[in-house]
Parts: sequence; C-alpha cells; structure tokens
Amino acid sequence: MQSQVEPNLSYFIAKARSIDGRSFQKKIKVAILSSFTINGLEEALRVKCAESDITCATYLCGYGQYNQDILDQSSKLYEFSPDITFMIIDTRSVLSTLFYTPYTIPANDRRTYIDKRVADFVNLVKTFKNRTGSKLVLTNCSIPTYSPYGICEVRTEYGLKEMVYDFNARLSDAFRSDPQVFLFDFNSFVAKYGEINVLDYRQFLVGDIKVSLSYIPHLAEELMGYVKANLGVNRKCIVLDLDNTLWGGIIGEDGFDRIDLSLKPPGMAFMEFQRVLLALYQRGVILAINSRNNEDEALRAIRDHPFMVLREEHFATMKINWSDKISNMKEIAQELNIGLDSIVYFDDDPINRELMSKAIPQIKTIDLPDDPSLYASTLMQINDFNTLVMTNEDRKRGEMYREEHKRTELKRSSSNLEDFLKQLEIRVTMKKANNFTIPRIAQLTLKTNQFNLTTRRYQEEDVETLAQDHTKLIGCAQTQDKFGDNGITGVYIVNKNHEDKEWFIDTFLLSCRVMGRGIEDAMMGYILSKAKEEGVIKVKAEFIPTKKNKPCEQLLPNFGFKKEGEQWVYTYKVPIKQTNHVELNED
Amino acid sequence: MSSNLLDIVANVMEVQVSQIDDESGPETIENWDSFRGLILFEELESKFNVKFTLNELLNIKKIKDIKNILSVRGASLNE
Repeated sequence: MQSQVEPNLSYFIAKARSIDGRSFQKKIKVAILSSFTINGLEEALRVKCAESDITCATYLCGYGQYNQDILDQSSKLYEFSPDITFMIIDTRSVLSTLFYTPYTIPANDRRTYIDKRVADFVNLVKTFKNRTGSKLVLTNCSIPTYSPYGICEVRTEYGLKEMVYDFNARLSDAFRSDPQVFLFDFNSFVAKYGEINVLDYRQFLVGDIKVSLSYIPHLAEELMGYVKANLGVNRKCIVLDLDNTLWGGIIGEDGFDRIDLSLKPPGMAFMEFQRVLLALYQRGVILAINSRNNEDEALRAIRDHPFMVLREEHFATMKINWSDKISNMKEIAQELNIGLDSIVYFDDDPINRELMSKAIPQIKTIDLPDDPSLYASTLMQINDFNTLVMTNEDRKRGEMYREEHKRTELKRSSSNLEDFLKQLEIRVTMKKANNFTIPRIAQLTLKTNQFNLTTRRYQEEDVETLAQDHTKLIGCAQTQDKFGDNGITGVYIVNKNHEDKEWFIDTFLLSCRVMGRGIEDAMMGYILSKAKEEGVIKVKAEFIPTKKNKPCEQLLPNFGFKKEGEQWVYTYKVPIKQTNHVELNED
Repeated sequence: MSSNLLDIVANVMEVQVSQIDDESGPETIENWDSFRGLILFEELESKFNVKFTLNELLNIKKIKDIKNILSVRGASLNE
C-alpha cells in the first residue's frame, strides 16, 4: 500500500509559528493527553487545520499528567475547555511490567489485571465526561508483535497478545454507542506503518517518545479525521474521469473490447479502484462522472462491460461530452446541489488536474500517481469523507440521488413548477427528537449550510440536552414523495417563552437536496400553527447571513415576518401561508 | 531542501545558516533543545542515509561532532 507523503516534522514546527495569529471562520480547541512524550503533534495539527481553513488552538498535558488533568476539577485541561480531546495511551503504560514479563503471574491473574485496567479507563472517561462536554478520542493499544513465548504464544491461555486484544475489544464495547467518546484504532495505525518504524528505540530511550518523530505528521493526519468531522467539514462527492481512470486505455480509440478492465493485470488495477469506490458509495459518498468522450461509446462500456464494478445506477450524474471539464464540474455541483468545496476529483491527466485546481481551487483535485496499481491505495488515503455518525440517510444516499434523477426528468416534462410539485405527491412527517432521530438532527445542524437561517451547530449531546428541555421544541421533518423516501431532511429548534406568549426560532434548516419544493413552507406553517394552538401571539426568528445561506433569505418575509432590528417577527396579522401540494402528518 | 548539513540544521533550528559554525550546538543555539535535537538527527539520518547509535546521539554536543560521525560513515557533505 502506498503511504501518504508527509513533510518532515520540522516543517510543521516552523510553519506553526508562521500561522499563529491567522484567523478563520471555523475554530476548534484540541487538547492532547498522552501517556508518553508526544511533542510536535500540536504543531502538526495546527498547521493541518490551517490548511483546511480552521483556526486550531491546542493544549498539551504535562508529561505523565493525564490522570491528574482529568481528575482535578480545576486543571489546565478543563480551564482550556477543549472541543476535542485526544487521549493517546500506549501498551507499555497499560501493561506496566507485564508488558515485558507477562508470565510472571498465571492466566487468571492476567485476566484480573486487564479487568482492572479496563475499569480504570472506563472510570477515568466517566470522570472526564462529568467535567466537560468535550468529545473524547481515546486510542486503543497497539498489539505487541513480540512474545517471549515465541511460537507457543498462540497456545498460551490469555497470553500477552490476547491481553491487549481483550483490552481493546472491551474498550470498543464500552464506548460503541457513546456519542461523546470515540475509539481511535491506534493498533491499525501502528500496523499500517509498522511497529519497527513507529517505535524508534533511541527516541524512546532518550525521550520516552513512543511514536517516532517522523510518524507524528501521519498520526496528526489521521486525527484530523475527527477534527474535520466535528466541524462538519467533509467532502461528499467523488467526480471521476473515465479513460485511464475508471478503465485503462481510451474507449474512443481502443474500443469496448480493448480497454484494460479485467480480472488480470493491468485491467485488474482498475477493478480494484472501482471496488474501493463502490464501498465508499455504500457509505454515502456520491459518485459522478466528468469525461470528454462520445457519450454512447462510454455509456456502452459502463452498462455492458463485463468487468465494470460501477454501473450507471451508482452515478448521481454523468457529464460525458466534449464541453470543457470546468463547466461540466460546475454543472455537476449545481445539479447535485452541493458546494464545490465538497468535491474530490480524480483524473489521470495532469493537465486537466492543473486546469481544474487553478479554476476551482475549492475542489480537492487528487494528484493521481501515473501507476494505476496505486489508484486504490491513493483513494484509501483520503481522509475527507468522515462524519461522526453514520445515519440511514448516509447509507441510502446513492439511492436517493437516483430517485432525484427521476424527479428532474419529471420536472423537465412538466409544463410548470406548480404542476410538477403537485405530481410529486410530497408527504412531510413531522417527528419529535428521540433516540432514532437525534443523530440525524445533530448531523443536519452540523453540515447544512445553504438553507439554514442561523447556522447554529449542535453536537449530538447538545441535541439530547435540548430534547429534554421543556422550554424547547425540537423536531425534524421526514420527506417522501412518489419516487421515494428522502429521510429526515429538515430540523427546527424553538425556544418557548410562555409568559410572554412568544416563540423564538433558534434553528430552521432544510437539506439542500429537497430545497424549492415547498417543504420549507410546510415546516414553517407547521411551527406557526403549533404556536397558535398553544396560544402564542408572536413568533420571532433570525436570519444570520453567511457566505452560503442566501437560498433561505426570503423565507421569513414570504411568511409575513416583519423585520424589527436584528430580528424578524410574525404576529399572525397575515394568515399562515398554506402549502396545498404537501400532505403534512405528525408522528 | 538542500542536502547540505548546515541548511538542515538552520531549517530545523529556525536560524540563519550564517549563524552556524562548527562550534554551534545546544549551548549556542537557543532553539536547540533535546526535542529539536532528535528532529535534527532524524532528518540527517534520512538525508544522509545513515543511522546514529544511541551513544552518538547522547554525545553530539556541536556541529563538529556531527561532521565527524558523518564523515566516518562516508556521507558526502557537499561542502
């Protein structure tokens, strides 16, 4: 597997100084707790954040102080009040002398030891959670490759390696469904780069450094997955070229039978690449094509070639034509209703890549290696598709975009918008925040940019707290139509002030996928009617403009809200706008 | 990056090349603490394709010591 090229640690140390003081709109505070020396990680994280337009402040706990930092209520850690805390522990500190001489004690005692260590960490995490709302990313332990028992290790009951396996498995179990705690698979990290490389004995002996300095930037890169996901900064769509990208050769010249795509090399490299793409599609990444080709020839390969892994159904849209790729790209973004900054672009041609990154720098244009055998691993290095939770909406996204295609066709054949909306047979179900809907509600507040009145971000724990608060009304809208189920696409949060018979709309958002179909109107109508039923006489709202939320600028005035200072106010003087083409239900 | 020893030292320690001579070391360069020392050795190792022993690492006190070790190992210093 190809490993990502990272600059030396000295680059990050120097660069960190030069970016201090630069300020971006997105901000995060990251604390690092570690059982060993991990200098340099702070700088690498700050620089990587700056590269993604994030201002990052860091805190590193004193050497060997992570326990105290967590236990002491007035510690520097809590004073810093991090958004994310990385707690990096190593096998030596968990096992203590048993790491070297595990067979000093019998198997049962080894079990008891691990029981105790798991309990220690679970308690430590519990204390942490009681004192801060910070997300916690806890590493598991790397499994030692050496055992003094050698080839008999595997016959040994609860031997050294099994102790660590068990420790890791039990940490996973303990935090699997805890929205505040994530387990970082440090064992995989070490396996990826090799224990021999990650632990440099000289650095370990001189400075208790257990991740060698040349691997600190790689570790930072993996941890960035959590930072970006926490801020909702992720990419949603992979746009692909065809010739020499999805298959070898040029369909227009080599022809259907002669392109490289088969169960043997070199064609197998392209199948391998497609298989990784398919798996990403299944986790909710949208795929699209941008290729200069004759459409019929290319489509024939996509539909009928026996070794294509990806078929027409997997692509949300296909731009196969002779127009320039930059205009195609803009059309793709528009058609899928996604930002250019959520696109990753794969093209084998360095000139196309150069043109694209100059014209649309927000797109992540991948520097694809010349050798197709490296395509799959290049794709696997991309750390931009992470979300903190995986919802049903994520897994079904591909299907939803296919249904969207059918809607677009209907729209084209309809004589006018009203006619089209009527034919869609839209049904909106208003749901309360509960265990099933809370992860998706949080996800939508974190990533919705366009149709979002206030762009307030809420983590899953925040939504849970809001849902229990009787002075709040928090809910979501599931939307369906005759082509399929769009899942939960809208969220609202209202602060109720019963004394003054006033409601305040804290959050109102709609996924960009379903914008412009009157769903926003049905939702707003629902809130206003609900307020009226409870005797409210005034509903206040805000529109906080950002670079991206122009699409919802007119929502409030369209409903008859009047601007009063910074706020918009609705007093029921005009009747609540009706949305007749939408069937509204309550769940 | 140049493979010149002094360039690497200057880069890691964030000082000018002109501020470094054979006698420079943790005593004379403020940024040269044990952490930066380790970064320096690691970058020299990958640049010159050598491995320092633990004792060498512990005993390097100035640039001259590094030059001596590198020349014993046959690394070309481009000077």
